[in-house]
Amino acid sequence: MTKTNTPFDPKSLKFLTAVSSAEYSKPTLKMGALIASVFDASHGVVYVGERASEFHGSSVNLTRQNLDNWNIIHPGLEVLEWALQELKALSPDNEELAKIQFNPDHVYEEDGRVRVILPDDKGCRIELVLREGELVDQLRKEIQLEGYDLAIIGGSQNKRHLAHSILQYLPASVFVLQKFNPQKKYKLLLLVDDSSATSKSIEWGAMIAEKLGWPVRTLTVSKTKRFGAGYQGAADKAKAYFDSRGIEVEQFFLTGDPVRTFVEFAGDNHFVIMGASTLNPVKQFLFGSKPIQTLKQTDVPIVIVR
Amino acid sequence: MNSYIDILFWIRQKKWLLIALVYGMFMHHVVTPPPDLNPAAFDALIIISMALILIITEPLPLPAIAMFMLFMQVVLGIDSANNVASSFMNDAVFFIMGSLMLAVAIVSQGLDKRLALGIITLTGHKTWRIVAGFTAISAILASFIGEHTVAAMMMPVGLTLVRYAHKDPRKVAGLTAALLFSIAYGATIGSIGTPSGGGRNVIMMNYWAEFGAGSVTYLEWIKYVYPMVLFQIPITVFILLWTFKPEHSNLDSAVRKLVVDVARAGKIKGREWLAIFLFILVFLGWVFLSEDFGLGIIALLGVFLYLSFGLVEWQELNRKTNWGVILLFGAAISIGIQMNQTGAAEWIAHVIITSLGNVIDNPAVLQGSVSVLLTGVMSNILSSSATVAVVGPIVLDLGGDQILIGFATAIASAFGYFTAVAAPACTIIYSSGLVKSKDFLRAGWKMGVLSLVSLLGLSLLWWPLL
Repeated sequence: MTKTNTPFDPKSLKFLTAVSSAEYSKPTLKMGALIASVFDASHGVVYVGERASEFHGSSVNLTRQNLDNWNIIHPGLEVLEWALQELKALSPDNEELAKIQFNPDHVYEEDGRVRVILPDDKGCRIELVLREGELVDQLRKEIQLEGYDLAIIGGSQNKRHLAHSILQYLPASVFVLQKFNPQKKYKLLLLVDDSSATSKSIEWGAMIAEKLGWPVRTLTVSKTKRFGAGYQGAADKAKAYFDSRGIEVEQFFLTGDPVRTFVEFAGDNHFVIMGASTLNPVKQFLFGSKPIQTLKQTDVPIVIVR
Repeated sequence: MNSYIDILFWIRQKKWLLIALVYGMFMHHVVTPPPDLNPAAFDALIIISMALILIITEPLPLPAIAMFMLFMQVVLGIDSANNVASSFMNDAVFFIMGSLMLAVAIVSQGLDKRLALGIITLTGHKTWRIVAGFTAISAILASFIGEHTVAAMMMPVGLTLVRYAHKDPRKVAGLTAALLFSIAYGATIGSIGTPSGGGRNVIMMNYWAEFGAGSVTYLEWIKYVYPMVLFQIPITVFILLWTFKPEHSNLDSAVRKLVVDVARAGKIKGREWLAIFLFILVFLGWVFLSEDFGLGIIALLGVFLYLSFGLVEWQELNRKTNWGVILLFGAAISIGIQMNQTGAAEWIAHVIITSLGNVIDNPAVLQGSVSVLLTGVMSNILSSSATVAVVGPIVLDLGGDQILIGFATAIASAFGYFTAVAAPACTIIYSSGLVKSKDFLRAGWKMGVLSLVSLLGLSLLWWPLL
């Protein structure tokens, strides 16, 4: 939150990928690793499991400690072990990462979470964390604790009813991989308006486009037939920024209901980037916002930059 | 801006606390109590309904809910601080405290490896025999040492077998479910067998004493209820094999690997014999001395012995015991006693009897049906012990034989087969991540029917003979 509108130093960025299982989270983790490497950011992987009812919590803990004696590790740690192996497989040239070994006994419980202690992780900037509880609550706590800049969440975890909570309460930019296909070549669609969040989303869009070589489109939507100076200025500024970095950009100006127009234009072959809402939180809570409605209605991968 | 978001987030996380508070204030300040219900009884009902909202939705830690139930009794003038304090601690709470600590002491001895070897020696390699062995041993052990202790000890055995049967347990989902549910359902059906099988049984015994219904000894409880445990074991095995259809009919290789694994533990050590001996002493104390000393005091004596002989460290007991649950049961029993003393329980019972009297003519059938259905449904939403603590005072005021109604209620509180929250054993197998909520429904409805029929048979055919 405090970093809004300030030029960012990619070296200091921290990204967090939420994984749920080896079966469903492979594309999410792959994209998380890719985006982290694009920004040269440190990368945290968090597994948020279900928390046992408090009534039986101690019985479950007692069982888990007993399972440790039989070398049966917590199901969440299994997912984190898989995540580490996947990260290694995704970066075969990373010698530092290859050295890291997963040991389920080397965990540290702190601040209501379990952190896997990774020896020899100098230079890799990888963090593996296990949490239990409600998804948004736990992600918020993790982001607040570690100061993550971007939370990467799989589409399966993005139940539409969570869209509001994810965007309203996570104090970081959010990347939701809805129906993300790692094999597909997307067009990067940047939603441009006169809000203060647009300039940062332009920077993020440029970095992603440069690294992935995706074509870039900007879309500016006005509710009326007329595009005011603010909208036109923002679109021109975006074009100038992309031009300055040698990235070709197509500009689109459409009129109509902004959210419906975004969603229809995005179709199923765009990768959307938009700025977070600058509306008062109470208004967002009561009436929603463009990013919340867009996230609810679209089925393509979307990054909401804060 | 951030503080607004923090406030909104707090509201999101605590919405059920706010709803409970608004409901409580509305009921206390706006709603007029029915003419046949005195204000103290009405306030007791408000507290218990607010507590139910908080327990089910968990916006607060359990100890906070316990404290809420206690201070509200004094704040609303239902009773004095000293009386609330004295109703808070009794033998049932001692028993829950003692049994939770005994579970830690027993599980930490590593006896599960001996248990695994014993079961495999008895059952052999065939899958159906292993499922039968798991169900029977879990049921019988849970009758005496409590279902949470048994599930904690049996889970590693079940999971190890599954992993030796296939590297990825999800590929043998039927076998995994059959083995894990044989532990959970075995422990659950066994937990009704003796008073020490579960805290809820002792809570009911405590209510019998409070309501002046008389007392039931440890052996009398076994005489009344154990036939149902024995009857349910084989049918549970059949239900599990029928529902989950294990992929392998023989676990030859998995069993051999397990035997090699547990054989590494070597011969049974003196420390383990001592742990078993001490538990037998506790058990004999429950059987022969509980009428004079109370089950809870004997459980605490057992914990004292385990600590004295150095079989468990206090730090370990302290760390692994759920003190929040103990506080909550103390508070729930305290408000349960207030429901009895203020007449709130009797009023609800009267309302139920009056409302349903036209539907069911026979009072005994009505009392039995209400106690069993109310308890069975609530135990799937709350937890089994909490259900007895809350429902107990009401069903004992329904009329009829309070001892038999109490037995039916305690038994029905073990009918939490449908969800992972009702019984600790169900929560434990669910925490493995290898069984799903729908698995509980698939097997749970069959278990529900079995248990209802068994209870009906027990009450109609067995109890009249005693």
